[in-house]
Amino acid sequence: MDLSSALYLGVTFGLFVVFLLIVIRTYSKKRKEEGERAKYRMLDDD
Amino acid sequence: MENRAYNYAIVRSFVTWSVIWGLVAVLVGVIVSFQMVEPDLNFPPYLTFGRLRPIHTNAGIYGWGVGVIFATFLYIVQRLCKTPLWSDKLAKFQLWFFNATIIASAVTLLLGYTTSKEYHEMEWPIDVMIIILWVAFAINIVMTILKRKEEQMYISLWYMLAAIIGVAILFTVNAAAVPASLFKSYSAYAGTNDANVHWWFGHNAVAMALTAPPLAMFYYFLPKSTGVPIYSHRLSIIAFWSLIFMYLWTGAHHLLWTPVPDWIQTLAMGFSVMLIAPSWGSVFNGYLSMNGQWHQMRDNYLIKYLILGITFYGLQTLQGPMQAIRTFSAFIHYTDWVPAHIHMGTMGWVSMISFASIYFLLPRIYGKEVYSIPLANLQFWLILVGQLIWSISLWIAGVLQAGMWNAMNPDGSLTFTFMETMVEMYPYWWARCLGGLVYMAGLIIFIYNLYMTAKKGKPTVNNAAAAAGRA
Repeated sequence: MDLSSALYLGVTFGLFVVFLLIVIRTYSKKRKEEGERAKYRMLDDD
Repeated sequence: MENRAYNYAIVRSFVTWSVIWGLVAVLVGVIVSFQMVEPDLNFPPYLTFGRLRPIHTNAGIYGWGVGVIFATFLYIVQRLCKTPLWSDKLAKFQLWFFNATIIASAVTLLLGYTTSKEYHEMEWPIDVMIIILWVAFAINIVMTILKRKEEQMYISLWYMLAAIIGVAILFTVNAAAVPASLFKSYSAYAGTNDANVHWWFGHNAVAMALTAPPLAMFYYFLPKSTGVPIYSHRLSIIAFWSLIFMYLWTGAHHLLWTPVPDWIQTLAMGFSVMLIAPSWGSVFNGYLSMNGQWHQMRDNYLIKYLILGITFYGLQTLQGPMQAIRTFSAFIHYTDWVPAHIHMGTMGWVSMISFASIYFLLPRIYGKEVYSIPLANLQFWLILVGQLIWSISLWIAGVLQAGMWNAMNPDGSLTFTFMETMVEMYPYWWARCLGGLVYMAGLIIFIYNLYMTAKKGKPTVNNAAAAAGRA
């Protein structure tokens, strides 16, 4: 594997990890209330 | 600055201009559809299909589509951030520069100046104008978000930011060219690289200009119209990020069976199929938000537009990945199936959401209820039926065309000549003309309704109380 291929693989893997972290953070039980708060708040602004 | 009120005047202006450009787009679309069946309606050199067709697409995407984006984003950002626009002057500059850019585009295309890149036909001076315009818009939106009074960012703001960043990157990279004169340039890329960059732009312009912004509108205007929150904000966040991670890899599905490397085609095909997940994440979120509220489909005309809009988005994002599969693409690519697909997206998904958004805005920016709800309902049925006539006739035409192109005699020769396949298209092309006329009738009713609302309504001189209270 040459350097550029390794770089592509690394970036792909890195992006996948970032996405996984976003999913874990968004759906963590601790953050459930906070994660849904915006949908109620947006109804208040009128 | 903190005591300034919300700026609705700019929203009114963008609504007006976007609708004017929308009428131009549909009118020219109807004209070119007649030119397809009656070639005598081509009047060279200016009023030919070749010159009018890019005016139809660019007026539709950049005049109507982007005009509505400007109108709704400038409204939504103030409401969700509970703060006035960062700069009213910049917004005003954006309005007039927007119109100048659209007019310059239309005139140069009519004169025959084109890069020949689909959806990016304008020559380099207009590219520069578009970049200046977009930067002005981006600065105002981003600065308004930065000075927001609301800690959390609602999902619409995420889609808005994605659209702003995405369009900026895509357009600038694809616009890279070497100017040879004031109205002629050559692409900075060559051969398959040029094609690959172009369709990376082309398909992702659909993502960042015609998917992310309508989703921002849908997520804002649906709960505002029903009065109940969306089903899940967390689901919307995951759908957002998966869309962002996946979309940018799909452009090469426009180049299946071309000299572009196979691995790029396969990658695009794979990611296109995977895109069903985030797309339907938003579709399900929309449907589930209607739990206990389905009666509003009867009672609230806005809901009809919004739910039909998201339904067409769902259908579009199933049909699109299907077309991105090599074997299916081999059958339908280059046939009339493809414009039918695109028009389900533009006339069904994007425009339904845009009409609903404008109807929602009217009472708020003019201080009076919509002039006629029965007319709004009539318009709904006209644009729905018009779009269905348009798309269904050309889906059938596309399958017929593909079947005839592929038909072979036992000796291996083609069963039909190209001209024979063209002749078979005429009934479907006439149906397309009819669909376009019905759709345009709906649009004219919309404009009449908007005009009467503006005329009889009293413009809201900014929401001073709200702004002062929240500033």
